Formats: sequence, structure tokens, C-alpha cells
Amino acid sequence: MPALIAIRGLRKAYVMGDETVHALAGVDLDFQKGEFVAILGPSGSGKSTLMHILGFMDTPSEGSIVFDGQEVAKLEPDLRAWYRSNRVGFVFQSFNLLPRLTVLENVALPLLYRENSDPAANAAAAAIALERVGMSHRLDHRPSQLSGGERQRVAIARAIVGSPSIIFADEPTGNLDVKNVDRILDLLGSLIKEGITVVLVTHDLSVAENAHRIISMRAGLVQEDRTK
Amino acid sequence: MKLFDRVRPAIINGLRELQANKIRSLLSMSGIILGVASLVAMVTVVQGMVGNFRQFVDAMGGIEKITVTREQLPKEQEHLAELSEGITMRDVDRIRKTVPLVDNISPEARVGYERLIIDGRETSTYVTGVTADYLPVAKRWVDPGFGRFISDLDGLNMNDVIVLGSAVVPELFGANVDPVGKVIKIRGRRFTVIGVLNNIEGSGMQIRSANSRSGGGAWRWRNSGAFIPVSTAQAKFIGNDRLSGLGLRIGDAERLHDAVEQTERTMLAAHKGLRDFAITTNEQTLEDFRKTEAAFKLSLGGVAGISLFVGGIGIMNVMLASINERIREIGVRKAVGARGSDLFLQFLSEAAVISVVGGLIGLVVSMGIVALMNYILTQALPTGAVATLDWVIMSQGLAFSVIVGLVAGVYPALRAAKLDPIEALRHE
Repeated sequence: MPALIAIRGLRKAYVMGDETVHALAGVDLDFQKGEFVAILGPSGSGKSTLMHILGFMDTPSEGSIVFDGQEVAKLEPDLRAWYRSNRVGFVFQSFNLLPRLTVLENVALPLLYRENSDPAANAAAAAIALERVGMSHRLDHRPSQLSGGERQRVAIARAIVGSPSIIFADEPTGNLDVKNVDRILDLLGSLIKEGITVVLVTHDLSVAENAHRIISMRAGLVQEDRTK
Repeated sequence: MKLFDRVRPAIINGLRELQANKIRSLLSMSGIILGVASLVAMVTVVQGMVGNFRQFVDAMGGIEKITVTREQLPKEQEHLAELSEGITMRDVDRIRKTVPLVDNISPEARVGYERLIIDGRETSTYVTGVTADYLPVAKRWVDPGFGRFISDLDGLNMNDVIVLGSAVVPELFGANVDPVGKVIKIRGRRFTVIGVLNNIEGSGMQIRSANSRSGGGAWRWRNSGAFIPVSTAQAKFIGNDRLSGLGLRIGDAERLHDAVEQTERTMLAAHKGLRDFAITTNEQTLEDFRKTEAAFKLSLGGVAGISLFVGGIGIMNVMLASINERIREIGVRKAVGARGSDLFLQFLSEAAVISVVGGLIGLVVSMGIVALMNYILTQALPTGAVATLDWVIMSQGLAFSVIVGLVAGVYPALRAAKLDPIEALRHE
């Protein structure tokens, strides 16, 4: 079975003043469908850059990315937006829910930017996603009326509402109390049963340990790739 | 359809932002509100004045009227004064034959400001000798039930008949008296009243005369006067065959200049080259008025334009501030799949929503301004203005505000569209 994502020779360089920073210095990796992977590394290791590139928010300076059989390393902005809307979900450390929208509207947001978007169908899909994360009782609340754990569950619902192939969770438990950390990690881990690849991006080994495979990064390179 | 599907949520979103920041939105709208209100109110009032002047020019016979009057000979022809015969009915025949552009010719022989007397009551008014052609040239008529006008037969027979202006009737007969058939005296001669001219009432904006009395109202000056056959006037009052002037109505206002030129040539030839007449039109009056109108529109439009421009800057300012506050939101929207164009549309719609709501408020304010101006003008001045708002102006005002909103929204919306999602998400 071919990998969902195959990256080869991936490099990303930023010019900062006179200096060129090599955030990624030649990365080769494969991600399988339904895998629960953690990318572990300290800040500056290149893990965030890798997530941004794989999440279609950024483009690499060099190298190739084959996503679902398509070469996607150098896509136009609008095509990258299409992939973000249709293939990728994001879960952020600070939840990033829009304060003026209700829980239901926040979850439906990715569907709004799809072709032939239909408000009624979007709301129905959002309700299903919220049920999946156990937040059906809070559809009309605003994010500010929810606890941190609840907000992150809503954010996960938003990430899965569009049936993505892959979800990137960037320090998803960083702003949560202990009680909620396990719950969120369990929820993320359970998504692989639906064939979704879950990528946990973290600097915290104890969080990374929840994944089935841990990729350790340092200075823009993969240092260790360990499957449990 | 597809675009509307994308714009609809953006508009709903815009209304929501408006509701969430009421005070700020109202402040940003103030420029648009004032701009639209002043634009609509000013155009309305100017149009009211325009309408009034059109009526005035019309009351003077309109643009299709040419007036020929008797004139002193110019200096270089003064020694020929003995040869001057003045304007006579022969000129009427000549113009009728040689200037086909002229549809009607109304010879007029002014008798003077005369006392009209009946049974001890009297009033004074201008008495003029005319023919049946007076009606089409002056754009007047006799309403059914108010008798008839002077006929060609009255002229041939030099009948002692008289047609009264509607303002003269109540002064002479009191209210609710049918004057037709009554006999009145002028300089001892007995004239039978055969008709009453139609009553002219101004509509729209009215010219009020400070000394206007009941019976004539605003257009009293047009509703006074009395008319007798021109032949009667010449034979029984004036004592010669001279006319005081001619009124000419042409069929095609576009050919006014040709008609004037042809009339002049005919008159010069008939008068053996003597310039004992003058030809005038309402064109100059209308031209002066058009210039005034244009100046009004330009200056008031300028004021309104500046307010709208300031309104646009206000909207742009608020949009930029709003985008700065919502950088993270922009990042989130992009992360979940929004294209640059989606965000461009969203923020452009928000600017449009602000300007449309501002424009609507401005229209309400303009109604107040127009009502206030009407009140002031009708109360404080002898010449009052009554202007009414019409839908064309109001929709134009609204359209202007939308255009201003859209133009002002372009730059902020472009900034939002171009934001890098990673940078935007990092923004605190």
C-alpha cells in the first residue's frame, strides 16, 4: 500500500537579515493512512515548519511531497487552500475558535469555503462532528462559555468535520489541565480507526508517548524515527 | 449565483460585526450618513428650485416663444423715424407667409392699466387687445363652463367683448358669481364678458408674492389682466393700427434660431430696413437659469462629495483597525481552507454593509433635512420652496454610499487577503 504522504529531500530556508536559516535541512519521511504519529523536538528543530508545509500552509524551498499520489510541493495558493479545506485538519494549542461564532458555526467553518457549500448540510455535518467529540449539548454556546477541554474538543470537531485524510495537532494539550490531557489525546488517537492519519506535534515526550510512532527532530533533520 | 453563495455568509458576518461593535460602527458610518444626507437633501432642494423655474419660463410662454416688440430706431437710423410705421397686422400676414416655422402669431395691442367698472364695483387691470391666437402662444385656455375666448369673428366685427383673467373675477363680482354675459365698462364703453381664462396654479415649488391676496394666490400676476379683440382695441382706444408687439409660437424648439433669423429678415424687408423692432426669446433667461442650476449642483455636489470621501476614509480606517484586531481570525479562516479571495470578499462585504447601513440612516436623516428646509423656506421667506424627495435621488444617494464603501473597503480587504496564515496564527 503506498504511503499517504511521501516526502523526499525536503528543505526550507528562511532569509533573516544577512543569515539564511535552514529550518528543514533535507527530510525524508513516509506517513501511512490511519497512522498515529508524534513529531517531537524542541523549538527551532523544524517540527512546526514541517507541519506547516505538510498542512499546505507553506511551501518548501526544495524537495518533493507526494500526497495521495499527487506531487504537491509547489502548489498555487488557491490549490493549497483547496487541500486545507478538503484533506487537512488542524488542532491548535490555543484552540483558535472564532469568538463571535457559535460552537456549531465554528465547526462548520471549513465547509463554508468548499465548492457548492450548503448552509443546512454544513450545519448537519457539524452537528455530527460535535456528537463524535461529545459536545452535542453545547451547539449554540460561544467559545468563551466553554472550558479549555471543551474548547479543544470543539476544535477537534472542526478538524474532522470535512473528513480529512490527515490531522495536525500542534501542542493540543499545551493549554489544558491534567484531567483533560488524557481525554483529548484519547480522542485524537481514536480518530485513526476512521482511517485518519493523526500527527501530534509536540516538544513534550510524555505527550508524544501516546502515539504509535515517534519522529524526533533536531536542527532541521530527522534524528530518530521509532515505531512502538 | 455562485458568487452570491460566497457573499451571503460574508454579509451575515458583516452585520454581526456591526452589531458587535455598535459605537465604533456608528462613528465610522457618520461620514457616510452625513454625505448621503447632504447629497440627497441638496439635490432634492435644487431640483425643487429647478422645477419651479421651469414653470416660470413656461408661464412666460416657454422656450418656443419668440417676442417681437416695438423699439426706438437706433441712432444711425433716427433721421428716418418719419418712415417707421411700427408693427402692424401687415407684419402678422407677412410672417405667416414667409416664416413657416411659426405655428401661431399673436398680435398684441396694449390698451393700458384700466379701470373695469360694474354696478359701483371696480378693479384695475391691464387691458390688451389680442386675437384667437393668443391662447396657443401664451399656452392658455378657457375651461369648459367658463365661456369662450375671443374669436376671429369678434375681431372682424370689432365686437365689444372681453375675456377676464381668473383673478379679476372675484374682485369685480365677488365670490361665486358667473361673470359670463355681464356687462362691464371701460372708459365709458360697455363690454360684454364672454369668458374667463384658466386659473394658473403653481405646483411643486411655488413663487409666493409678498402682497398676494386671495383669488390669485401665487400666480396672481399671471391670472390678472383682461383681453379684448385687437381690432376693437386699435379702433376704439388706441386710435391707430399699431401693435405693441407680436407673440410667435414655433413648432420645433430646436429650430428657434432659424425662426428668429427668418422673422428678423422678414421684418427688416417689410420695414424697409428700419430697425424699429426687437426680437427676444426666453432662451437667455433659460440659459442664465441653467448656469445657476449647474453652479448649485456643482457646489452642493462638491460638499456632498467631500463628506462622502471623508466617510470613505472613516470606513477604511475602521476596516484597517478591525483587520488588525482580527489577524488571528484571518489566520484561522485561512488554515481551515479560506482562499485569499474568500477573505477579500468577506472584508469587502463588511465595508459594504457598513456603508449601506450608513447610507440608509443617511436617507432617513435627509428626509428630516428636507422637511426642515421646507418648513424654514415656507415660513421665513416670501418665496418659499416646497421640495419633495423622490426615489431616483434616494437610490442614487444609496448607490453612491455603496460605491464609496466598496472603494474604501478594497485596500483593507486586500491586506486581509494577502496575510500569511502562519504569521497570522502566531499573532498575539
